[in-house]
Amino acid sequence: MLPFLARRILLAIPTLAGVLVVTFLLLYVAPGDPVMEMVGERADSATIARLRGELHLDEPLGRQFAFYAGGVLRGDLGRSYITNRPIAQDIRERFPKTLQLAAAAMLLASLTGITLGVLAARRPGGWVDRLSLGFAYLGVSFPVYWVGIILIFVFAVVLRWLPASGYGKPQYLILPAVALGSRSIAFLARMTRSAMLEVLGADYVRTARAKGVGERVVLLRHALRNALIPVITVLGLDFGYYLTGSILTETVFGWPGLGRYVVNAISRRDLPAIQGAILFMSVVFVLVNLLTDLAYAASDPRVAYD
Amino acid sequence: MRRRTLPALLTALLLAAACRGGQSGPQRRTLVDSRDRYDPRSLDPALSTDVPTGRAVAYLFDGLTRFTADARVEPGLATHWDVSADGRVYTFRLRQGVRFHDGRPFHAAQVVASFQRVLDPAVHGGRGEPLYPIAGARAYAAGKTRTIAGIQIVDDSTVRITLDAALSIFPKLLAMPVASIVPDSAGQEFGQHPIGTGPWKLVEWKHDDYVLYARNESYFGGPPQVDSLMTRIIPEPSTAVAEFESGNVDLLYIPESETRNWERTDEKKGMLESAPALRLWYVGLNTTRGPLRDARVRRAINHAVDAGTILRQLIAGRGTLAAGVIPPSLEGFDGGRRPYAYDAAAARRLLTEAGFPNGIDIELWHSTDPTFARVGQAIQSYLAAANIRAKIVQRDAASAREAARKGQADLILKDWWADYPDAESFLSPLLTTSSFGPGGNISFYSNALVDSLVARSHGEQDQKTRATLYRQADSLAFADAPMLYLFFYNELDAVQPWVKGFHVPAIFNGQRMTGVSISRR
Repeated sequence: MLPFLARRILLAIPTLAGVLVVTFLLLYVAPGDPVMEMVGERADSATIARLRGELHLDEPLGRQFAFYAGGVLRGDLGRSYITNRPIAQDIRERFPKTLQLAAAAMLLASLTGITLGVLAARRPGGWVDRLSLGFAYLGVSFPVYWVGIILIFVFAVVLRWLPASGYGKPQYLILPAVALGSRSIAFLARMTRSAMLEVLGADYVRTARAKGVGERVVLLRHALRNALIPVITVLGLDFGYYLTGSILTETVFGWPGLGRYVVNAISRRDLPAIQGAILFMSVVFVLVNLLTDLAYAASDPRVAYD
Repeated sequence: MRRRTLPALLTALLLAAACRGGQSGPQRRTLVDSRDRYDPRSLDPALSTDVPTGRAVAYLFDGLTRFTADARVEPGLATHWDVSADGRVYTFRLRQGVRFHDGRPFHAAQVVASFQRVLDPAVHGGRGEPLYPIAGARAYAAGKTRTIAGIQIVDDSTVRITLDAALSIFPKLLAMPVASIVPDSAGQEFGQHPIGTGPWKLVEWKHDDYVLYARNESYFGGPPQVDSLMTRIIPEPSTAVAEFESGNVDLLYIPESETRNWERTDEKKGMLESAPALRLWYVGLNTTRGPLRDARVRRAINHAVDAGTILRQLIAGRGTLAAGVIPPSLEGFDGGRRPYAYDAAAARRLLTEAGFPNGIDIELWHSTDPTFARVGQAIQSYLAAANIRAKIVQRDAASAREAARKGQADLILKDWWADYPDAESFLSPLLTTSSFGPGGNISFYSNALVDSLVARSHGEQDQKTRATLYRQADSLAFADAPMLYLFFYNELDAVQPWVKGFHVPAIFNGQRMTGVSISRR
C-alpha cells in the first residue's frame, strides 16, 4: 500500500506542473486584457502602461511564467488583480463551503441512490424498479439549474419552510444539496441496479442462497459489496466535480463557494485568481481520485496495489 | 439560453402564487438590499470602479461633496467652497467636529493623505483619474514627486486645491467614490476593514454572500432611520425575485425581461419605483474602419434601425429615445433635436450616395449578456433590411471590451454609465479625441470643433453658457453619427410596501439609505 501511495503522489507532480503550464498558456492566449478590467470604463493609457509594468505583464512570456511559478513553489499564490486580497485566503474562505455542499450532496445521493438501486434490483420490473427508473430519468433529464429554481419556488416561496439562498445555518444547505445531488441519485440508482443484477445472477450468490443465508445478508453482504466497485467510481468522479465548485448550484442558491469565485475571476480576467483556483482544484481532483482508488481496495479484497 | 426561459417560467409560477395575499411587515430591523449581482471588489475607495463597490463606499465614507438621489451635488465633508476668478483655485471649508467610525477626528491633513493614497503608485490603485486635474497629481502618480503640488492645507479646517486648468465640474469629481476621505494609516488590508465618516459602519463582510452595516449613531448628517443595512449578493435574478416574494429582501432590481410581468397586477405595480438613470445604450461605430469612415454610411445605420420598437419590445419601454449623448435630466439636453427617423429607404439612399449601392458587410459585436444578445439580433435584422449585412460576433464582456478599445470592432453594442451627473461625463469620454480607446471613445471619433467646445466648457463657470457649449458639441457629433443612438435607460426597482423613503437614485452612489425606514404593522 505505501509504495503505491508514494508512486501515486509522485505521479501527481507532473500532472500539476502540466496544469500550471497549460493554464498559464491558455490565459496568455485568451482575449481580454486583465489591466483593462482593473481600470474600469474610463482610463488613460499612462495608467494602463504603469499597471502593466507593475504586474510584469509587459515582460516576455518565459519570465512571466518563471515569476508566477516561483511564487507558487514558495507557496505564494499572489494577490488578486481586482480585489487586492491574497488568493490563498480567498480559497481558504470558500473551499470549506464548497466541501460542505459537496459532502451533503454526496451523502444524500449515495444513501438515496444506492438504496433505490438495491431495492430496484431485488425485484426487477417491480413497482420499486419502475419508480426508481422514472425518478432516474427525471433526475438525469432536468438541468440542475431548473431543479434549483423549482425547489426554491416550492420550499421557499410557497411553503416557506427553507431559505431560498445564502449561507448559514444547516437549513441553508438542504435545497442546494438536493439540487446538486439529484443527478447523482439518478446515476447511482441505475448503476447500483445493473451492478446488483449482474452479481445476483452469479454462482456464489446462488450458493449462498442454497445454503440458507437470509435474503437481507445475501443482498447486503454478498451482492452489494461486490457490486460497489463501479458505484465507487461514479461516486469518486462526481465528488471530484462537486469539490471543484458546482457553478450552477452555487449561482442559483447564492452559495458563496469556489465555483462562483472562479467564474467571477474568469469574467474579470483576474489572472492570479484563476491560476491559483485552478491549481488548487487540480490538487483536490488528484486527491479525490487517489482516495477513490484506495476505496476500491477497501471494498474488494481482489484489488491489490503492489 | 437558460436565462431567457427560466425567469419567465419562474415569474409565471410566482404569479400563480401571488393570490396568497398581502404580506405583513417583517420582524427585522435590518434593511435588506438585493440589487447587487456580484461582490464589491473591495471596500477601499481607491479600488472603486464598479457599481457594487461604489454603493458600498458611499455608505461607509464621505467625500468633500456628494450626490443626492436626484443627482445634484451637495456639501459633504466640505460645508462650502469658493472658486477663484480664473476657475483654477478651489478653497474648501471643512466640516468641524466630524469623527471617523473609530473615534478619530477628521481634519484637513486627511484630505491630503486620502488623495495622495489614491494616486500613490505603491497602493496599486491606479484609478486616480478624477484627481488628475489637480496640479501636480499626474507627476505624483508617476512617482516623480513626493507631494502633490496643488493641494495646500491652509488651516485645520481649510484646504486649497489648485488645478492645472480651470475645471468647473471639479466639485462633482470630488463626489465620486474614489475621492472619499479615509483616515491616516489606511494599510493594505483597508479594503477588508474600512473606516470612514459615513452614515454606516461595517459590521461584517462575507464574500459573495452579504455585507452588513450598522448605523453610525454619531453621523454628522444625523443617524440613518434603520438599525442596520444588509447588502445581499444574489447572482441569479430569479432567486432574488423569490427572496423578494418571500419577504426576505426589501429592494429588488427588476430585469428588463421581467418588467411586463411586474406591471401586470396592481399589487405588484404598486411596489415599483422607477427613475431615469444616467445611462446611455448605443452602438459604437468605429469611424476609422472601412465604409464606416463615411458619415453618410453611419447616418444610414441610424436610419435603418427602429430604436423605438427595440425599446418597447425588448427593454419593456424602460427608457427615452436618444438624439444625442446627453440625457434629458442633464443641463445641455436639447429637447428640440429629433432622433434619426426609422426609414430603411433613406438608409439605402444614403448608402448609394456614399458609393455602396450593393450595401456593405460589417461585424456587429456584443457581449454574452442575454439582453444585449436580443438587442443585437434585432439590430442585425433591421440592418439587413437596409442592405447592411452585419455578422454578429458574440464574446464575453472582457473580450468584447478589449476588441472595441483596440479598434478591432466595426460596431459594438454598449452602454455607458455616467460617473458623475454632468453632460461632460458623456461628451468627453464618448466623443473627444483625447479619450480614444480605453478612455471611452470606442468610435475613435475625432472632431476638432467638438474637442474645442468640450475644452471650453471645462473653463466655463456660468452654467447657462456651459449648457450651450454642451448642446453645440452634442449636436455636431449627432450630425456625424459616430454611434447608433439607441436610448437612455430607466432604472426600475421593486420596493416592499413596508419600506418608506426609498427613491431610486439617478446615479449609482446617490442613495445612501439614510432616510429609508421600515414601518412595522
